[in-house]
Amino acid sequence: MGIEMLSVTPALVGLIVPRKLPRALQAWLLAGLAGGLFVWLLTYLPIIQSQGPVEINCAWVPELGLTLSLYLDGLSLLFALIITGVGAAIFLYTGYYFDDVQERGRFYTLILTFMSAMLALVLAGNILTLFIAWELTSILSFLLISFHSEKEAARTGALQALIITGGGGLALFVGLLLLGSAAGSTQISAILTSDALHDHPYTIPLTILILIGCFSKSAQFPLHFWLPGAMSAPTPASGYLHSATMVKAGIYLLARLYPVLGETALWQNALLVVGLITMGLGALYALRQTDLKAALAYSTISQLGALTALFALPEGEGIKAALVGVIAHSLYKAALFLTVGAVEHHTGTRSLLALGGLRRTMPGWALITILAGLSMAGVPPLLGFVAKEALLEAMLSAPLALVIVVASAVMTIGMALILIWKVFFGAVPENSPIHADAHPHLHTLPSALILGPAALVVISLLSGVLVEPIIAPVIAPMLEHEFHLALFSGFNFAFFLSLIALPGGIMLFITRPIWIRDVVLDRTSQGAAAYRRVIGVVEGVGDLVLRSQGGKIRYYLIVILGAMTLLMGTAGLTHISGGTFHFEFNGSADILKTMFLVVALIAMFASILYKRHLLAALALGVAGYSIGGVFLLEPAPDVALVQFLVETIGTVLLIVMLSKINAPARETAISRLWGTSKAGLIRDIVISAAVGIGVTLFALAAVLNRPTHPTITEWHIANALPELEFPDIVGAIVTDFRGMDTIIEISVFGMAALGVFTLLAWNSAENDTPLISRLSTPLTRTVARIVLPFALLLALAQLLYGGDGPGDGFTAGVTSGLGVALWYIVFGYHETRQRLAWLRPRRLIGAGILLVVVNAALPMLFGQPFLAHTNFDIPLPAHLHLSSTFIYETGIFLTVFGSTSMVLEAIAHPREIEAL
Amino acid sequence: MNVIFAIATGLMFALGVFQLLRRDLIKTAMGFYILFTAINLLFIAVGGFNGIFPAYSQNVERGAISDPLVQALLLTAIVISFGSYAILLGLIAISARRYNTTDSDTMDQLKG
Repeated sequence: MGIEMLSVTPALVGLIVPRKLPRALQAWLLAGLAGGLFVWLLTYLPIIQSQGPVEINCAWVPELGLTLSLYLDGLSLLFALIITGVGAAIFLYTGYYFDDVQERGRFYTLILTFMSAMLALVLAGNILTLFIAWELTSILSFLLISFHSEKEAARTGALQALIITGGGGLALFVGLLLLGSAAGSTQISAILTSDALHDHPYTIPLTILILIGCFSKSAQFPLHFWLPGAMSAPTPASGYLHSATMVKAGIYLLARLYPVLGETALWQNALLVVGLITMGLGALYALRQTDLKAALAYSTISQLGALTALFALPEGEGIKAALVGVIAHSLYKAALFLTVGAVEHHTGTRSLLALGGLRRTMPGWALITILAGLSMAGVPPLLGFVAKEALLEAMLSAPLALVIVVASAVMTIGMALILIWKVFFGAVPENSPIHADAHPHLHTLPSALILGPAALVVISLLSGVLVEPIIAPVIAPMLEHEFHLALFSGFNFAFFLSLIALPGGIMLFITRPIWIRDVVLDRTSQGAAAYRRVIGVVEGVGDLVLRSQGGKIRYYLIVILGAMTLLMGTAGLTHISGGTFHFEFNGSADILKTMFLVVALIAMFASILYKRHLLAALALGVAGYSIGGVFLLEPAPDVALVQFLVETIGTVLLIVMLSKINAPARETAISRLWGTSKAGLIRDIVISAAVGIGVTLFALAAVLNRPTHPTITEWHIANALPELEFPDIVGAIVTDFRGMDTIIEISVFGMAALGVFTLLAWNSAENDTPLISRLSTPLTRTVARIVLPFALLLALAQLLYGGDGPGDGFTAGVTSGLGVALWYIVFGYHETRQRLAWLRPRRLIGAGILLVVVNAALPMLFGQPFLAHTNFDIPLPAHLHLSSTFIYETGIFLTVFGSTSMVLEAIAHPREIEAL
Repeated sequence: MNVIFAIATGLMFALGVFQLLRRDLIKTAMGFYILFTAINLLFIAVGGFNGIFPAYSQNVERGAISDPLVQALLLTAIVISFGSYAILLGLIAISARRYNTTDSDTMDQLKG
């Protein structure tokens, strides 16, 4: 196991860890997982320092330049350490934060998946895989913000975040594609060493597009407003995604591309201007919030602005400050968010106007807030102080920037002091819900809740005091020059500026009775208003489009079919010339095939004419069997078998469903079958004829232009027997050469069955009187009982000998499903469910898909590719040979059997489906 | 022979589309089914070989075998069409319960 397992581990664990574990066990287990990953990553630190970046490549879609590659250098490592380290604290906190078991399980699944996506983002060695991970984090952020989807604010906040970050993602995508094209490679290692970008014509557009992506993700002005809206997320998510990790993805990409693009004037100006505006405005808005989480969100925006501005500085002057800033901010801001979550949990509110005096009931949390708040304010000896010193030092070269930085620092100090004082020390406001004597309705916090944030502030403090031994080695691999990092770096100008900022912030805090009056509750920033206007326009256009939609299915169909005919017909006409038509018959088989085709066409025509649905369904069955006959004569025995089976089960389904729709409902439609007007009928005939002609032209062109020497087919024919010992070439293609297609196919099939099941069986009221089927006679009952075991036996035979002749996992599944179908017809729903209680379709589907995937993935452990064929070489009688294909086929059998049974169960269910 | 297949495909498309355009949703579903079948037939028709033996390795020596690749594709196609057909039937069953008719023209409550 190497770093390639690193990013998928959390998501896998999220799927595997049972949701109903005791809370303490769950919390410690998952925190331990994140902590373990953290330690594992730390072991890479000396490797990277001594040997340079670790790179792992594995071709995915080489034609598209898509490679599954990992690139671990100092920068990735730093971010991965933050993701796993802060993640451990957050996971521990989460376990005690959610009281509801269901909510906790759902949250853990989402946040673990998010951790995977975030790790994949920072470890990506290819800009396209980076982009995929980037989008995944946006989607998971959406799901986490809308976690309490019953709340309106959560839904709008989530949508806003998704539209902004998703839109930025689109810009980023184009930008990255241009970058890949300009640099000549999509590999990050190649881009970093490429010198083609300096005067490439794409450089300016790609820089703009990538910056839009980074700015939207990292909440830079004017795209910052989604972040305060994202505060509807549960607090652990806000603390993790929206302060420590995801919003830093933009910063990460800026840092990643800084060596390549950082020297252009466009980059430097854009980053400096946007970063400084964001920094100042964020700090200003943070002061004006009364919602604690919104205040923290704006202060995060301000910090992100500072980080952005640092990457504007030429020659890597800002990198050291940015890296220390990223670490410091993650530590104190996550701790502050977690504290706010605890305060809200405890008091039921997070409004600054309603809180006060909490030091009495939350003493430990008060201490955490003081330490984290002072780190945010940049007070020694916390890491925040080191970060601020570094920031001021880096900005010394730009006087105007320095003014904004100092002003923001003053405001941030003021905000931190207000936060600490108001919540924990100030008097409790008059109308506060927490007011009064015995705090009767205060929620007691689990004592272990405090451990996560406590760990974060302890690290904040330790790394501040011991900055040289702790932080310096972590950031060292990213800095080319010698650098100096210490808690106290002497009485220089930066230290002097810190000295000014501190009393300034204290002044701001003391004078707050004077200016706090003017503060209006401003939850709607300019950006959010603009966003709403844009959304309004989109919705208006949507309404206009809706007006052109008549709502009659047939008209939609006519438009679709018309377009299709036009396309197919023209394609057919342009390719049809030059070929010669062969009408000759090759022997009696062709004559028989033609006869079957004629029968099929007549039966299809009859299904149109029959007014009674049952007769039409039977006619359709005849058509299907005739086509099966054509396949058999082709000769395509595998296809014919599947066609016969599917035809049978399809007809059974249709007939069972017809019996569930009451007769009057069908009568009304049938009485108007031919429409009321003759014109309508003629129109339909004309359309059908036009489509028929168009398709005929297309089909003729396809038949005439087919290649005479299909190389792909010949490869398959040549390799089926030697590689797989499969005489049946079709079986070999389905189960091995194109095995991935089959995995996807049965997954779709399983999904379809689940879809039918949820459509029809979601009403779980069981209040029907059991109906005795009319077909339930002693004879039919005996037959049904005998047929099912035989069907299962037949299925086993198909599984075992699938490689030698027709039949595979799919046909085995449908064969067994038909046995069950007979049960439903003869015994009726209730008796079948009772007697066949061992049949659990959902478990079968799950077990089947799992078996297939595990079997396909197993060779990877032995260094073989996904789905590699393994022959077990066990001597067996009766021409049996066992290989991994047998397991694969069994998985398919289980899935198909389960799906078929599930569809049958849903459609055969007698209860009334509740009207929507 | 393949020309006949092509023409039969076109005819089936015409029948299927006509069936698809009926007001009765059950007939519409049947129309879909005919279209699925027609497409499957075309698959066979565009196969690379005109074989007279099933596509088994032991038949390769004996003469022309039928094209295994299109058959493999066809297997997937049949399964997927059956899955969509099942969902279609489920949708029709539930709308029939809701509107108490299978006449698509009288189902208008979804109009925006």
